[in-house]
Amino acid sequence: MEFIKKNITLIVGISIPILMIVFVAASIYLPGLFIKPNVNFLYAYGDEYYSQERFTVQNGKLVKREVPRYESQSYYQPPREESKLFLHDVVKNESREVSFEEAQRLNLDSGTKSSDGFEVINGYQGGGFFPFFGGSGSDYNTRYLKGHNVSKKINLQQRGESYYYDFRFLGWIK
Amino acid sequence: MATKEEVLEYIKKIAENKVLTKEEVDAAFESGSGITTDVVLKKKIGIAEILYYIGGAVVFLGIAILLAQNWSLLGFGTKVLATLGSGIAAYVVGVLFSRDERTEAAGSAFYLISAMVMPIGIWIVFDYAGFDANSYSSHTLISLILLIAYSLSYYVFRKNIFTFFSIIFGTWLFFSLTSMMVDSGSYFDDWKFYEYRVLVVSIAYMLLGNAFSKNERAPLQGFFYGFGIFGFLSTALALGGWSPEQNIFWELIYPGLVFGALFLSVQIKSKPFLVWGTIFLMAYILKITSEYFSSGMGWPLSLVLAGLAMIGVGYMSFSIKKKFLSA
Repeated sequence: MEFIKKNITLIVGISIPILMIVFVAASIYLPGLFIKPNVNFLYAYGDEYYSQERFTVQNGKLVKREVPRYESQSYYQPPREESKLFLHDVVKNESREVSFEEAQRLNLDSGTKSSDGFEVINGYQGGGFFPFFGGSGSDYNTRYLKGHNVSKKINLQQRGESYYYDFRFLGWIK
Repeated sequence: MATKEEVLEYIKKIAENKVLTKEEVDAAFESGSGITTDVVLKKKIGIAEILYYIGGAVVFLGIAILLAQNWSLLGFGTKVLATLGSGIAAYVVGVLFSRDERTEAAGSAFYLISAMVMPIGIWIVFDYAGFDANSYSSHTLISLILLIAYSLSYYVFRKNIFTFFSIIFGTWLFFSLTSMMVDSGSYFDDWKFYEYRVLVVSIAYMLLGNAFSKNERAPLQGFFYGFGIFGFLSTALALGGWSPEQNIFWELIYPGLVFGALFLSVQIKSKPFLVWGTIFLMAYILKITSEYFSSGMGWPLSLVLAGLAMIGVGYMSFSIKKKFLSA
């Protein structure tokens, strides 16, 4: 007791950063224990720019549109890629590849927020310890389900480094 | 066996007769209780010590440039030898020099070299071991290792310089651990989170400075007061934001914080509080004038009023220094 009384400023000085660490940990991990997302979603993966088809949702159903190949001898023709469709189970946090026919049978809500208040967002690449040196921005290798102060990393089916056009959220499963 | 009261009464008597000094009584008490007295430089840092530290920093710079210029040519062994090896060697030289009072200050310069070079050495080991050495988790581990190493050094050698390094590595650990927890999850606004962390560290530094002012770690007080109040006032000002995205809470509370700093400068007799309090009061006047009054009154008139207010602040600061802080 005498020690605490004598060194009160030292103890408070050391405790404040420790308390902030506890507060940050609690605000990140605690809400996730009580609030869990439960609406699955459909997404496409594969560079949309080079893809031979575009997926859209019309009247709650998935629609595929073939992209015509631009015919020209003078320009470089990049190889066409096939986009794959995945159904993400938010409870198990795992994605399963589905065929277009299977995906077409699903009723989809293409709104950004699910009925239980979650949305799919890009990860954030911080600027390190000193954000004013730049380098911060979206991290396309990670996606999160965010809502109600909960942020859960999504285990996506992706290959190597991801870019902006690779991941396309299509809709929440109704 | 004499009672506690009798012993205290006896000490009082011998103190009146000037038979023993307070330090001798303290030393006798500590040797009996098993507490080791801090072996610290109680004198203020002079020109010679500053030159030692500059020398230490130049040695570090030399090692860093050597590595940067020959990074691809040097093998793992050479890199580790040049960093971790020289860091450990500098630490050992520091220990040896600290044993002699004549070379003690130079010993601190070697401790400085070791503290600057060793993080690079551990980083290289992490990198070679296959970890992502730039990740927050690696930074957390590196800073934790160094915090433990320098805290143990303080425990063994009881030197101020180890207290200083322990706090610096502790700060690094705080930032890297909190960054690691947040990762890329977009839980908080990145800038705001950074600002609040600096605010917390600054408050901790000011409290540590105050705790050190009362004991043999007083030479560290100026550093922690200086960085603490600078970090606190600059972050609080930044948290206020700028119109139309300003934070009214921080903008309204800010004058209270600045005047609090000026008031405390007298209470704790701290020049860093007075200097930074004055500078940030001026910065606040300029910020508020340009933010809210430049369009209504016109920029030139706002500048005139802000300038007059700053002259007033300068005069107030000068008066406080002359009246309360002049030694």
